[in-house]
Amino acid sequence: MIPALETRDLSKHFGALYVTQDVSLRLEPGARHALIGPNGAGKTTLINLISGALSANRGSVLLGGDDITAQSQAGRVKRGLARTFQINQLFRDLTVVENVTMPILERSGIGRNIWRRASTFSHVLDEAMALLSQLHLHGDALTPVRELPYGRQRLVEIAITLGLKPSVLLLDEPAAGVPSAESHIILDVIAALPEDIAILIIEHDMEIVFQFAKSISVLVAGNVLVEGTPEEIAENQEVRAVYLGVEADG
Amino acid sequence: MTDTPSDSGFTPDARLYFRAREGWRWAEALPWIVAIAAFFVFPDYMALGTQILIAIIFALSLDLILGYAGIVTLGHAAYFGAGAYATGMLSAHLGWGEPISAMLFGGLVGAALGFLSGWVLLRYHGLTLLMLTLATAILLMEGANAAEYWTGGFDGLVGISIWPLFNHFEYDLWGHTYYWYALAVLFCCFLVARRIVHSSFGRSLVGIKGNVNRMHAIGTPVHGKLVKIYTISAGMAGIAGGLFAESNAYVTLDVMSFARSGTVLIMLVLGGTGRLYGAFLGTVVYLVLEDELAKLSPEFWEFGIGLLLVVVVLFMRGGMLGALDDLVAWARGKGKP
Repeated sequence: MIPALETRDLSKHFGALYVTQDVSLRLEPGARHALIGPNGAGKTTLINLISGALSANRGSVLLGGDDITAQSQAGRVKRGLARTFQINQLFRDLTVVENVTMPILERSGIGRNIWRRASTFSHVLDEAMALLSQLHLHGDALTPVRELPYGRQRLVEIAITLGLKPSVLLLDEPAAGVPSAESHIILDVIAALPEDIAILIIEHDMEIVFQFAKSISVLVAGNVLVEGTPEEIAENQEVRAVYLGVEADG
Repeated sequence: MTDTPSDSGFTPDARLYFRAREGWRWAEALPWIVAIAAFFVFPDYMALGTQILIAIIFALSLDLILGYAGIVTLGHAAYFGAGAYATGMLSAHLGWGEPISAMLFGGLVGAALGFLSGWVLLRYHGLTLLMLTLATAILLMEGANAAEYWTGGFDGLVGISIWPLFNHFEYDLWGHTYYWYALAVLFCCFLVARRIVHSSFGRSLVGIKGNVNRMHAIGTPVHGKLVKIYTISAGMAGIAGGLFAESNAYVTLDVMSFARSGTVLIMLVLGGTGRLYGAFLGTVVYLVLEDELAKLSPEFWEFGIGLLLVVVVLFMRGGMLGALDDLVAWARGKGKP
């Protein structure tokens, strides 16, 4: 099967600091793959390299078998690659429904239309409202994002990427900053994401990782230390030593 | 997830909300009624009135980029000036004085210059962009100064002769013809601006202003969109400049000056950015106050303007129109039990 997303020997350094070294990942269509590792392991950098926010020094990124290494961030999005941010990147002064309308306008090309009134594209609004219902956000549709509690803002962050109808979704710590009592809301939503989307998730909350992921890569100092099923990773002595061991002691 | 109050099953109608925002309000007739009434109440002030209308078009063009796309500029007079010189030179050197086409030619030159400079400028942001807009206007002004043969240099461009409007309405000393002409042009520019800001393109500009990182991440061609609105804005500024050249029959380097770029920014901020009508209110307040204060104290009139600007910037979020909105919202809230 052609992998939905593949990286081959992806490497990035800032001067003498090697943040990503020969990272090769493979996500099948519909994959649920988690990327874990201690702070500073280069997880977010890897997301930035895959999404095109940063350019790699070496190696390549393939989406559905096509090399997209030379493509811009926008070009990668057009091909079905979407990401969320560790720290919310929302339109804080706009309403929730407008936040979700933005990606739909871009995906459909309607965002280029300079003359027709935005409200007359009723299918865009219908799609946005359907998406909000899916994430149980429809009641907040007309609330400015800045007035939402942080946990619900995280859901808007995910809703925006779903508006792009991606084939590959990169989730950068979706539960970051959400009180642990509410993190199940996030988990419920990502567990219910469409099955055909391949998902790469970075997460510190091990509960979410082990409930959600079917496969896990452990990143340490920019290298993939080990890759396997959640059970294999949980048993792995090396991983326990460098990463999970710390958690167990805490 | 059933414990949150917003899951009560109530779904607000987004369509009604968007339609209401785009729809015309009765209050929108007010500035036009005032403009028409002003003609009959102050017939002797129509020369000033014409200059106010031209300044409103210029401020409106700035609102498109500053208020909606978040582009801060200190060099917008470059495009106003380019339009003024283009229209003026068309008459002074080529002998073409048909007012509407000459004005549109000014707009075209402004837009072309906006496209070329915007292509480079808009790759930068923040302080770098601010300085580059300033530098563009300075370079253009010095260019006009050096090209003395074409522009008249420091002495100004003379010999502009504009034909009667529609070959019928002569230019008159009281500025009556030009007042109606400028009002009609302002109305057309306003309709275009209003249409653009309520379009899908206009909404994505607001997205760029709100969070450019996110717009990149959803695949928006940010640079292309900014260049597009910058070009339109520069074209509108060029039209204002063309009207200015026609109504004064004289163009000096002052049309591109830093002072003009700064003044239009102050006018817009006074009125309120990102709301179209801020350009109307801010410009009228600024120019009328300037006129009145100058009579009161010819040397220190700028003190009054400065004081007003401080008050507006410190205490009125969204300028004077923003304060008005807040007041209306407060009064309505108070009226409810």
